[in-house]
Amino acid sequence: MRSRISVVLFLTLTLAMAMPVQAAEFPTKEVQIIVPYAAGGATDLVFRALAASTSKYLGKAVVVVNKPGGGGAVGVTEAMQARPDGYTLLTAITPLTILPHQVRTAFTYRSFEPVINVVQDPAMFQVRADSPWKTLREFLDYARKNPGMITVGNSGAGGGVHLIALAFEKAAGVTFNHIPFAGGGPSVTALLGGHIHAVSVSPPEGIAHVKAGKLRIIALFSETRMGAFPDVPTVREQGVPFTMGQWRGLAAPKGTPPDVVKKLHDAFKKGMEDPAFVKNATDMTVQLAYLGSAAFGDLMAQDHERYAKLVQEIKK
Amino acid sequence: MDTLASLQHLLGGFAIATTLQNLFYAFTGAIVGTLVGVLPGLGPIAGIALLIPLTFGLNPTSALILLAGIYYGAMYGGSTTSILMNVPGETASVITCIDGYQMAQQGRAGPALAISAIGSFIGGTIAILGLTFLAPPLAGAALAFGPPEFFSLMVFGFVVLSNVTGTSLIKALMMAVVGLILGTIGLDPVTGNERFTFGSIYLLGGIEFVAVAIGVFGIGEVLVNAAKPAESLEERVRVPRFRELYPSPQDLKRSIGAILRGTGVGFGVGLVPGPAPVIATYSSYMVEKRLSKHPEEFGKGAIEGVAGPETANNSATQSAFIPLFALGIPFGPVTAILLGALLIHGVTPGPLLISEQPQLFWAVVASMYIGNFILLLLNLPFVPLFANILRVPKKVLLPLVMFLCITGMFSVNNSILDIWLMLAFGALGYLMRTWAYEGAPLLLALVLGPKMEVAFRQSLLISRGGLGIFLRRPVSLLLLLATLLFLLIPVLRALFKPLGRGAVSAMARAPRGTRRKGGLP
Repeated sequence: MRSRISVVLFLTLTLAMAMPVQAAEFPTKEVQIIVPYAAGGATDLVFRALAASTSKYLGKAVVVVNKPGGGGAVGVTEAMQARPDGYTLLTAITPLTILPHQVRTAFTYRSFEPVINVVQDPAMFQVRADSPWKTLREFLDYARKNPGMITVGNSGAGGGVHLIALAFEKAAGVTFNHIPFAGGGPSVTALLGGHIHAVSVSPPEGIAHVKAGKLRIIALFSETRMGAFPDVPTVREQGVPFTMGQWRGLAAPKGTPPDVVKKLHDAFKKGMEDPAFVKNATDMTVQLAYLGSAAFGDLMAQDHERYAKLVQEIKK
Repeated sequence: MDTLASLQHLLGGFAIATTLQNLFYAFTGAIVGTLVGVLPGLGPIAGIALLIPLTFGLNPTSALILLAGIYYGAMYGGSTTSILMNVPGETASVITCIDGYQMAQQGRAGPALAISAIGSFIGGTIAILGLTFLAPPLAGAALAFGPPEFFSLMVFGFVVLSNVTGTSLIKALMMAVVGLILGTIGLDPVTGNERFTFGSIYLLGGIEFVAVAIGVFGIGEVLVNAAKPAESLEERVRVPRFRELYPSPQDLKRSIGAILRGTGVGFGVGLVPGPAPVIATYSSYMVEKRLSKHPEEFGKGAIEGVAGPETANNSATQSAFIPLFALGIPFGPVTAILLGALLIHGVTPGPLLISEQPQLFWAVVASMYIGNFILLLLNLPFVPLFANILRVPKKVLLPLVMFLCITGMFSVNNSILDIWLMLAFGALGYLMRTWAYEGAPLLLALVLGPKMEVAFRQSLLISRGGLGIFLRRPVSLLLLLATLLFLLIPVLRALFKPLGRGAVSAMARAPRGTRRKGGLP
């Protein structure tokens, strides 16, 4: 008798656990965001600030957990394996569509449900203020006449800004000499010291030095001009049909119920619009660029294809 | 900026830093930093990152005072577990394990802890004086270090520092090579290809330094003790009497030179991009050993071997603020995270920070003087408390050390695999201890190796394959020549001694001249 009761109890409990999370009750506990990078980087800082401002709209705390390692692969894998109940999210950033082409990963962007895109940072080339190239045309003319002579630093081999530099090279029909550094900071330092000619970076890297008049933005790859530098034209305006940037958003493991995704999306959208977060983002000079779940999914799909081709090229 | 103006600004800074609110934040930062430093694994990076969201509501000055306090506070606390338990919590305290732990085993934990607090205070304060008066000119010089200079500096560090403990050159070099090999695991820095990862995602990011450090030193020590006969576990370290808790006048006399030299070494190294705490502490140890009248005591509990390196890492910590404030460029991971925190508060560090936001800069500098003083006052009373931990019998203490190592390791990356890696290196550490291989060269190579490789390949990319780039640049050439000279000194001594003194006396003196080669068969 007793054993039958316990069997029934056991089955009921198992069933209860297996039942999909009811969105009406979501969230009943804190939501964690896995940042697959070490604390203190741009992604970490943006999402810590967003987590702080979103908690009040979600009704439960939003906490950031850093799971660094493997150029981001460790944290992404862990997020992929998490229960698809909406309580574990991933900061989905550009490398999610790059890494699967570089190393054997268990995931692609398809392992996740897109939730919301938060940031779209323009990529750019910066040169020293005293460099001989004043305009994009002068820069590209020199590069055309001296193929492979202009050294361009990037934040790491196969990283976003490295691949963007390779793509720009193609679009402009020139060749650079790409020098990888351990992060955007060291590449900017080497540029300031005059050890390389240019860097490929995304804000906030180098922006303080541009404002201080030590560095100059020689090529801007965004769709439109930047609010902080209205005088700097994009490369597209100057006849090079090229636009590329890096995005940072949130995604949930595949299988997270659509209504839970929607709840999360709505809460984080409000968090994004919160004045405190907007101020934090402006202070860090990151460009907020809201995209809904579907549009964010399309963006990931598009970049996945784009980077597949670029990665093949550096592996050659 | 002339000295008088600096002084005037500094006084203004003190006015801001001594408000009740800012004193509170300096104090909190110092306490949190000490705790973060004492816990192995959890380092200043994690500590600062966790507290950044708490500073959102503060004004930038208070926030920076708090976060900077954690950074230099951690440098004070870092030596504690090294001395008491042979567990280095971070790169900066690896070298302290060597003589600090030996001192503790002889019942001299108190003087070791006290001298590292005193050294930290002196080194920190002198370096802040440097920050106050020399920041802009020094920062510019640091930019002269590009990839070729950096490579030559790494070569110099490698050759000079790998046999830091001086027991056996052959064994030290073997360990350094193991460290170099371990350092190649992960993604290739130029092509992004996988190297020696055996298809494991975990290994893509390379071997976690903290896992190796805690494993080889901390876990290795626990295992060595566990392997001893059961009776020895009943033992406890000789309990110190009260007057032995603080350094004797003789200890102080022996340490003062080490502290002053450590300050200089640390200050200089902190200005150069790269793993400043490692190079600073190893160099200081090396200098002290070379200059000491009792080189034979090193490795067996020489107080200079604690005083010098512990001073050097604090001095380096403070001077690392110079490039951050004066140029807005972070030279290490901790200053990088501070830069991030500044950005989130709307302060963009850069060449204009000191002139555009003088209140912020000078208030933070002033708070550093105060913070260092608070830390000295905070740490000295803790000395008896910590030293008394060793009263606990080993059979109780060792499992606690194990527990501390495991939780500390997990706190670094929240990764279970890191714990397994640490335990594996613990087993290696046990074997190394059994056969008298030193851990310090392995760790040095693990830190410097990957950076050296990147700098080398960057240099060759820039020069398009020409090795001449290392000789054409003056700073790089100078460093390579210094390395060569260092290698030639023993040879030159051996060559020229016989001419002056006759062959017999030269033979007799040989052990001193070639001391570094003591272990050669």
